[in-house]
Amino acid sequence: MSLDAERLRLALGADAVSDAAGEIDGVKHALTLDPASGEALADTLRLLSEAGAAAIVSGAGTRLGVGNPPRRADALLSTRRLDGIAELDADEGVARVAAGTPLEVLRKAAQEAGWELPLESPDDAATVGGTLASSAVGPRLQCFGPPRDHVLGLRVALASGERARCGGRVVKNVTGYDLIKLHAGAFGTLGVLEEAWLRLRPRPEERRVLLAWLPEGQAGLERAAAVAGQPAARAAVVVDPALARQVDDAGPCYGRALLVVELGGAPELVRDGGASLADLEPVEADAEQLDRIATLQRQPDGHSGLRFRVVVRPARIGAAAEQLARAGASLLVWPGAGFLYAGFPLYEGADELAVDGAWRAARGAAREGAGGFVLEAAPPWAKAARDVFGDPPEALPLMRALKQRFDPAGVLNPGRFVGRI
Amino acid sequence: MSDVRGLVDALEAIVGRERCLSRPEELFAYECDGLTLHRARPGAVVLPRDTGEVVRVVKLCRRHGVSFVPRGAGTGLSGGALALDGGVLIECSRMDRVLEVNAEERFAVVQPGVINAHLSEVARPHGLFYAPDPSSQAACTIGGNVAENSGGPHTLKYGTTSNHVLALELVLPDGDVTRLGSVAGWDAGYDLRGAVVGGEGTLGIVTEVTVRLVPLPEAVETLLAVFPDVVTACRAVGAVIRAGLVPAALEIVDRRTIEAVEASVYAAGLPRDAGAVLIAELDGPSGPLPREVESVRALCAGEGASRVEVARDEDERQRFWRARKGAFGAMGRLAPDLYVHDAVVPRPRLPEVLETICAIADRHGLRLSNVFHAGDGNLHPNISFDRRDPDELRRVVAAGEEILRACVAVGGVITGEHGIGTEKRDYMGLLFDEDDLEPMRRLRATFDPDGVCNPGKIFPTTRFCVESNPKARGYDEVPL
Repeated sequence: MSLDAERLRLALGADAVSDAAGEIDGVKHALTLDPASGEALADTLRLLSEAGAAAIVSGAGTRLGVGNPPRRADALLSTRRLDGIAELDADEGVARVAAGTPLEVLRKAAQEAGWELPLESPDDAATVGGTLASSAVGPRLQCFGPPRDHVLGLRVALASGERARCGGRVVKNVTGYDLIKLHAGAFGTLGVLEEAWLRLRPRPEERRVLLAWLPEGQAGLERAAAVAGQPAARAAVVVDPALARQVDDAGPCYGRALLVVELGGAPELVRDGGASLADLEPVEADAEQLDRIATLQRQPDGHSGLRFRVVVRPARIGAAAEQLARAGASLLVWPGAGFLYAGFPLYEGADELAVDGAWRAARGAAREGAGGFVLEAAPPWAKAARDVFGDPPEALPLMRALKQRFDPAGVLNPGRFVGRI
Repeated sequence: MSDVRGLVDALEAIVGRERCLSRPEELFAYECDGLTLHRARPGAVVLPRDTGEVVRVVKLCRRHGVSFVPRGAGTGLSGGALALDGGVLIECSRMDRVLEVNAEERFAVVQPGVINAHLSEVARPHGLFYAPDPSSQAACTIGGNVAENSGGPHTLKYGTTSNHVLALELVLPDGDVTRLGSVAGWDAGYDLRGAVVGGEGTLGIVTEVTVRLVPLPEAVETLLAVFPDVVTACRAVGAVIRAGLVPAALEIVDRRTIEAVEASVYAAGLPRDAGAVLIAELDGPSGPLPREVESVRALCAGEGASRVEVARDEDERQRFWRARKGAFGAMGRLAPDLYVHDAVVPRPRLPEVLETICAIADRHGLRLSNVFHAGDGNLHPNISFDRRDPDELRRVVAAGEEILRACVAVGGVITGEHGIGTEKRDYMGLLFDEDDLEPMRRLRATFDPDGVCNPGKIFPTTRFCVESNPKARGYDEVPL
């Protein structure tokens, strides 16, 4: 089905419809839709739905590559113009923000109000909506936890064009089903996030970033896990030797992995935390070193290689990392959160065989750790033969049924989510 | 209306005669949960011992077109465990085994009938505890906590049940069994685990729960601050939140509650002339704790506390908490019946809302007391009354609705931890319009397309049977 651009312009306004074409995983779309309000977003979805069209839902587009190739794509539906902080209550640390608000804008506003935004993304240009929808995380994952935990309320535009709210602005709420949990991490397949109430965190009294070279092999990871277990540890990320050069000139590494740590909280806890890694002779660094971790989370980008995100039981992170390292992956490991990124380069002329080897290593590591994995970045040909979300979850039939109830016509990101939902 | 008469033999064949109740005198105790105003008699009660028995009961009910309702210990406060149309009540209290405690990885696998406080006792020798602690924790079950997404005083720092449930085994309303979530924490696809927690037993029957265990804090300090009135105490709470402190708990007990507690077996030696007391608990690493205690003390004093005591030892700490946790028991002295309300407001609005609530009760000539999770903005206005007095009952219901409206008016919600159940289903419209409710109906229909699992809860409805109709029982105004 092809969309009638003129009709859309008439209904939504000329500035909301552009001929900017694009391609997601080899599937082309001819239009880009940029509704500027919640009403316009709902109208857009209603028109798409009536036309039997399919839309790729996007925030800033920083994680648009995550997902299976779309089954169809008539337009890119962007929430970027739903922008702005509607309320920020400095007395209790909650904020109502439009989904298209960039994280960096909200982070700064929260900071100025004396609070901390507990959301991160590999790219600070990412929007609040995109971060929630795609479960994006950053270096402080072990401290912040998944994005869904900070959402108090949502306003969502459904595929059929209705707007629905769930949750609220208060910090404790069991009024009705917890639909927030469904929408967070759903990649926009159940509805398009329009606005969120978020809970902010008190800012740590003191903060310190340290870099230290780890002992080689498993001992290094164990050491890092011990640091991650310190009460003041907010971030503890192990950067393998191949990637460590990109972080900082922290001295010669002799092929060892780099531990990037952020300590925060009461001064004595930060001090104790620092003392606990004194034997590693850490060097003091500025907070920007943590941001470099975020940059590494975007590598490889799918053109130059495959990037897997693997989640395991934290106690089994060592075994999972070892298995992937043996398979030739470059690793970024969060020992405190049971979380890692594994990158595999794809050389000129790489074929299905190379992808298969990496895939089997990622799956093996995830199974070893009783967890799961996502192939976050890969060339379209490598995605064709597999579900990038890994092994199908036991409840996949329920998930299909849920998608069917929320988006029977397949307007929202058809084919992109788990099980090609 | 479900007709279970022909079903009893088959139910007995599944769970055994001694774990199937069907005589009226046996069913009487299952007519209500902790909300005694709402009543409905189940057709039968079964007490299965394992997932297999639950599956067989559910499949049997489906074959006979009979509805079924999961129940824990029956301590719920929103009528969530009522078999409204006379269906089969599946009481999970016999599924009470702790299947695994993994101290190294800090989780436990339990059956749904395990009592909340018991789980913490089992975890304690490992230096761990189960954090959500509803006031009924000595009786309520983990399965019930999952259904209601229960909170408790320590929710402020540790989060609600949803933050502590890693995985679930669920018997779906068609009798299939599925597992949701995992110990690793993140799973491919939709977070159905998150939807089932707080699903009020309408999305299936939880038969196994994997919960996170939390290390016991290195140190705990408990303060008791005495205020001239409840509004001043609320201001102190606002000051603590604004200062960026995260106490484990911030609880307010008002004068009327203090009087009741002090006259009861729970007497904690609270000053009877106090307008309100604030119990503040701080926990964590011992290093910074003394400074945090001083900060809270100074903030309380700054907001007008006449004195602030810090518990000198565990006995004294327990004494402070007795005043809080014994409050509901003590209120039994005030009147034969107690209506425990539950609503949440933005914390900066607590002082004005408390004033409004007290004015509402005064206007209706009702005895209202407040004992609540102030740190979360979670109010529990309690109305003591005598249900045999129809006029008083009418005023109780009218005041309750006004209180909810007052909370919603300042950006609040109508339940923070008790759930909607039957109690508040007709108030859902205060917060949500039909467009908001529609996705919730779709979620419900995904799990239970035929509406046979705990029917009649959460959603506004006018359909109810004569037996549970309050008008048939003489309660004209009860919003059931």
